[in-house]
Amino acid sequence: MVKKSKQYILRAFVCLWIPLAGCLSQPQTPPGYLVVGLESSPGRLDPRYATDANSVRIGALVFNSLVRADENSRLQPDLAERWEAVDERTYLFHLRNGVTFHNGKPLTAADVKYTYDSVLDPATRSPKRGPLQTVEAVEILGRYLIRFRLTAPHAPFLENATLGIVPVGSPPVRGLEVNLIGSGPFTLEEHVPGEKVVLKSNPVYWEGPPQIAGIVFRVIPDAIVRVLEFKKGTVDFVQNDIEPDMLPWLESHTDAAVKIDQGTTFQYIGTNLDHPVLRLREVRQAIAHAVDREAVIRHLLKGLGTGATGLLSPAHWAYEPRVPQYRFDPEQAKRLLDQAGFPDPDGDGPLPRFTLSYKTTTLDLRRRIAEAFKEHLRRVGIELEVRTYEWGTFYEDIKKGNFHLYSLAWVGVTDPDIYYNLFHSDSFPPNGDNRGRYRNRETDALLERGRRSLVSAERKRIYSQVQHILARDLPYIPLWWTKNVVVMNPTIRGFIPYPDGELISLKKASFSAAKPPV
Amino acid sequence: MKRYLSQRLLLFFPSLLGVLTLVFFFIHLVPGDPVEVMLGESASASHKEALRRELGLNEPVWMQYLGFLKGLAVGDLGRSLYHQGKVMDLVLARFPATLELTLAAMAVAILCAFSLGILAAWKHRTWVDRCALFFSLLGLAMPNFWLGPLLIIAFSIEFGFLPVSGRGGLSHLILPALTLGTAMAALLTRMIRSSLLDVIHEDYIQSARAKGLSELAVWLKHALRNSLLPVTTILGLQFGSLLAGAVITETIFTWPGIGRLTIQAIQTRDYPLVQGCVLVIAVCYLVVNLFIDILCRVIDPRISYGR
Repeated sequence: MVKKSKQYILRAFVCLWIPLAGCLSQPQTPPGYLVVGLESSPGRLDPRYATDANSVRIGALVFNSLVRADENSRLQPDLAERWEAVDERTYLFHLRNGVTFHNGKPLTAADVKYTYDSVLDPATRSPKRGPLQTVEAVEILGRYLIRFRLTAPHAPFLENATLGIVPVGSPPVRGLEVNLIGSGPFTLEEHVPGEKVVLKSNPVYWEGPPQIAGIVFRVIPDAIVRVLEFKKGTVDFVQNDIEPDMLPWLESHTDAAVKIDQGTTFQYIGTNLDHPVLRLREVRQAIAHAVDREAVIRHLLKGLGTGATGLLSPAHWAYEPRVPQYRFDPEQAKRLLDQAGFPDPDGDGPLPRFTLSYKTTTLDLRRRIAEAFKEHLRRVGIELEVRTYEWGTFYEDIKKGNFHLYSLAWVGVTDPDIYYNLFHSDSFPPNGDNRGRYRNRETDALLERGRRSLVSAERKRIYSQVQHILARDLPYIPLWWTKNVVVMNPTIRGFIPYPDGELISLKKASFSAAKPPV
Repeated sequence: MKRYLSQRLLLFFPSLLGVLTLVFFFIHLVPGDPVEVMLGESASASHKEALRRELGLNEPVWMQYLGFLKGLAVGDLGRSLYHQGKVMDLVLARFPATLELTLAAMAVAILCAFSLGILAAWKHRTWVDRCALFFSLLGLAMPNFWLGPLLIIAFSIEFGFLPVSGRGGLSHLILPALTLGTAMAALLTRMIRSSLLDVIHEDYIQSARAKGLSELAVWLKHALRNSLLPVTTILGLQFGSLLAGAVITETIFTWPGIGRLTIQAIQTRDYPLVQGCVLVIAVCYLVVNLFIDILCRVIDPRISYGR
């Protein structure tokens, strides 16, 4: 009886596990490929649809654009060898000769026209159509010469020239992305949404082929697992997707090469100026004085941030450093609140001057930062109710103006015309992102001049004034510019970090030692 | 039995419809606009309105619900608003991974629970029993998001013989299956132990012993079979928990399953995709529970169903 039972058990075990054992573990990455760990999945890589940071960064390795922003947000030639503003409404682009798409077809003005016309066609449903609405016509003047005519002078137009170019006839991709063809240093080999994107080196790239065989972008949503994958050597490169708490552990337990540089991502507290208390400038200034940014940067961000003075970072050509700044000063905050007509009802007692809500996401770090702000504001007599939401719900509330205070970040700011979208009184949602409903005639006039002027020095002067006014009025309370943290395999050479997190310099990266398959 | 089966099958469809209806209205109640996810915030209001019209999102919710039911009747779940692909294709592409993980977790749970549960009852009030109870308590107390990284650190980093995450061969399946199956194994161990202890003193067990059967035969053939009924019921109910619990495990182990797809769909307010994911999970849950009910009848033929 016992023998028979044992046989049954053995058979059951064999039947269960042998078929599974057939699929033995295979190396996931081909040799010579660089593996990048990402927190979130890139959306659509077609440049006509790519809007999230990861899609844009990966897309830049597959597609070329007319111009490309450098590490100081200045536009540099890419497919266009040079360009000129014929007048305020007309731009000419002289295309580079000898560029071919991944399918071997030469890239000409017809491809550029097709790409822009495709974006402007409502049937394409491109999210890039809105910013291009000032384009009246795209005209081919020669095989390598193309003209853009605008409906009105629009200084930020050139920013739209960073759109990736696709070959004539490329249909907008619906569903799984395969056969996306660009002219960039890498070709798209595979895109499994939510899982990975595989790029392969383009051996006939016009700037010279990349030195690495390819790149695998692996989506690893869990922060701890990303770090453990790096520790095991199955991920070579992670940029910014490392929790500040884990960086010291990585530095002491792995041979990682860690690069920390000033970034341009701007974190702020948004205020609702329709709120009866927050519409008073003194209250907003008091909050700015009450928040101890340095303590948060030191203890919660582990030093991976720099106190910010405004939206534009010091790396930006239009940055203005001489603006009003608000050092941590609770006593000054109390004085300002008294002046605004909100005396503390019981001195240092428990009763607050007033109560505000603060909305943020459910991410652990965001919650901890919110708790720190709550304590900072309690000390000056403001009670803060912290409310955390799932991202979609949180963002919907912010867009609707359903908030007192909230915190968000702006990533990848290039042209200072973004101020128009954020602070012009024409830009209240749904027309723009002036979610706090800031109104100032002087700012409006400056922002209108800023988008019309094509003279760089004049634009710099205009936006200096804008930064000064906004630092005084504080519709946004600046918090910090996040530092860029790159953790990579120490054998990687040639990668240059960009302040906005662009990965374009991976086209020049190489391994100093042969990389075994993992 | 036939009558019971037909009754259960008749109940199957209203249950499914109920789940889908609830999810349809709940997801539409949640704030968020899929059109903005698709077109971006900079799109003009008229552009957004045009797309809303094209997708039928401007219609009253009940009209959209009728449209959804019409599509469902002909097996068309629509297109994903975010991915733009067919919902059915997207869901079916991810479903095998979730099923593989869930079945592997169940296999882990059943193997562990039966071994430990039987041992604990057999060696009642000995150190074996106490160890089994301790491990089951530990298994119940450990959340997946803690156990997963712990197993990775032990087996992938320190010993280095298993991959950290991702889906590949058998080696990729072991840690996620252990993580997902541990809590269920712990619960089943306790169930099996207590069920066995309940029946082991029954008269028919004494009769079996009196007939001269070996102790192993008494336990496996007589005691275990009669203690299986509550265990089987729990097993069916736990299958649903495993599918739901797979969301966390899939995230930790970067497992490309339906759980992560559902979370992404909710975040992007991709209504058709949420519906598609829920449909598949609900169908699985209902089918498994139907199967379990039938199995209970096979295990204990005395069971009669509501006459």
